[in-house]
Amino acid sequence: MFLMRFTERAYFHYSEEDVRNSFRSAVRLTFSNSNFNPRIASEMYNYYLDEYEYCDEIGFDGLMLNEHHNTPTCMGAAMNLEAAILARVTKRAKIVLMGNPLPISDNPVRMAEELAEIDLISGGRLVSGFVRGTGVESWATNTNPIYNRERFQEAHDLILKTWETPGPFRWEGKHYEYRVVNPFVRPLQQPHPPVWVPGSASPETMIWAAQHHYPYVFLEADPDVVGDAKAIYAEAANEAGYSPGPQNFGYLFRVHVQDTDEKAYEIGKGFLSGNAGVGRVPMPPEYMNPPGYSSGQGMDRLSKINLRPDRLVGGVDTAGYERVVNLNRIVVGNPDTVIRKLHDVLSVVRPGILAVWTNDGTISHKDTMRCLELMHQEVLPALREIGDELELPGPFDREP
Amino acid sequence: MTNPVFYEEYVSVSGSKIHFIRAGSGEPVVVLHSVEGNLGWLPYLEPIANRFSVYLPTHPGYGKSERPHWLESVSDMAKLYIWLFGAMGLKKVSLIGHFLGGWIAAEIAVMCPQILDRLVLVDSAGIRPHNGEIADIFLLGEEESTRMSFYDSKQVLGYSDMFERDLTVEERAAKLRNREMTARLCWKPYMHDRSLKNLLPGVSVPTLVVWGQDDRIIPVDSGKQFSEALPNASLNLISNCGHIPHLEKPDDLSNLILRHLFHDK
Repeated sequence: MFLMRFTERAYFHYSEEDVRNSFRSAVRLTFSNSNFNPRIASEMYNYYLDEYEYCDEIGFDGLMLNEHHNTPTCMGAAMNLEAAILARVTKRAKIVLMGNPLPISDNPVRMAEELAEIDLISGGRLVSGFVRGTGVESWATNTNPIYNRERFQEAHDLILKTWETPGPFRWEGKHYEYRVVNPFVRPLQQPHPPVWVPGSASPETMIWAAQHHYPYVFLEADPDVVGDAKAIYAEAANEAGYSPGPQNFGYLFRVHVQDTDEKAYEIGKGFLSGNAGVGRVPMPPEYMNPPGYSSGQGMDRLSKINLRPDRLVGGVDTAGYERVVNLNRIVVGNPDTVIRKLHDVLSVVRPGILAVWTNDGTISHKDTMRCLELMHQEVLPALREIGDELELPGPFDREP
Repeated sequence: MTNPVFYEEYVSVSGSKIHFIRAGSGEPVVVLHSVEGNLGWLPYLEPIANRFSVYLPTHPGYGKSERPHWLESVSDMAKLYIWLFGAMGLKKVSLIGHFLGGWIAAEIAVMCPQILDRLVLVDSAGIRPHNGEIADIFLLGEEESTRMSFYDSKQVLGYSDMFERDLTVEERAAKLRNREMTARLCWKPYMHDRSLKNLLPGVSVPTLVVWGQDDRIIPVDSGKQFSEALPNASLNLISNCGHIPHLEKPDDLSNLILRHLFHDK
């Protein structure tokens, strides 16, 4: 099992009141960046990087980053820059980008160049995830959401060709046109860095990922629902001529360890409080779903597979903390408790990639470091054993 | 004429079925709808249908009309409409366009002025105002942009049924499709074309520019720019009226249009 660690690198020095008083009471997109204190943020970026360096030292297989725009919930607006820093200062762990939002780029060749540099400087440790991006990303970059899926596919095809096909070549696409694709920087990993696809069980994306043999990483999905969603991936994989296994699937969820169950429970509340607006203050629907964003076909497909609705109405961010913890949607506790709960979740979900989201919201750097320390001492070794026991090969153990 | 006889028809252009409603008789007047889609027959059209043959096409990609796969912009739309008029045997038409429909009408006028008799631009998109901006109906969302469209919604006959009723699943799907088509056409540059204003001086078609004085979606300044750029145009403001005069002040609009269609004839 491939073990990676994640945090959104949130900026949380604002109140729920601030969000409620802002334009359309939304924490994303329109919450003024006058609420961003550069002195505080400067410190935060650096301690977030310290945490990732520590994760590399203590044996995580992967360091997972994400990208969002116009939101304090994630300061990774230029995720590739953080990746580049980690490429230089870490030694072992993969640098897992989950992921670059392709449609919002007007220059996929530039993206191919950046990712190649990261791969080269890191010594071939890049995992290049690609995403469609949330609706907010489209608004923030003013890329027409109607073309989101088309641009995602064309940008992906162009980037892969840029990596794999010797230049110079010409590209006359619908959304991207290049006279001379010939960057003098090619990735170290051959034929190209691995591509993984994170998502929230959008059937079209899962099918596309399966067709390309790209592992699909579920982001906090209800474990009971993951099995049915995997069936969509499996069907497409079978049509493409292979049977997927654990190495084709990943699972991300929030896990926080402290010395005692009580302490972990208290500190874990921070997951749901710092990012005050997310879920707590409902966002205008068009922010996450601009015109053209949700796929009618996707919804039909889901209902055909007879997915049960998420037992947590409104998702992890909106439901009550106690309920979320009781359902193991956020796992908190001392090392033994966490190991036991993780065993339960992993038995059901069976991913070859596990992403532990160790801190977010108001959880402090100090508490995060203690969590990581305890993970190092007790949880990671136990997870290795669980991975073997449950037979969960990762994508570097077995080809997806 | 009350209760005109309506005909609902389809014409095929570029392999796509284009839907339209037709009523009245006489010289053709084509009404080009806005972002809400084809609202169908409205009371303000009745006096016009007494004297003219009124056509209400549904733009490709909206309502019952198919979209040719290549049609992505207002410019594409204008070209398709020129093609459509030919396919319908309409050699010379008058155009009435509201907001998005006005922008399309202006583009048609710029490309093919010789097929136009008269032009009516109602709170038309296409030109950015000098002061302020065109309201971002996408970012504002459905509810807020509807609210902003009216000076006083109590003036609107059937407002509750049009804007406050719970929609059926089919109606919601149709509304979503219309919104997506609008996003396809109008996303950026938002609701305008940078060249249009510069080309209008070449259009000598007699033009009536009508604006709700209290239009909070597209400022009166855009209307002023239309009427100043077109050599044969007049600007008429309707007071106590917002963005949709045909719903808020239908009689005022009818009278202005009829006077314009008959002027100098």
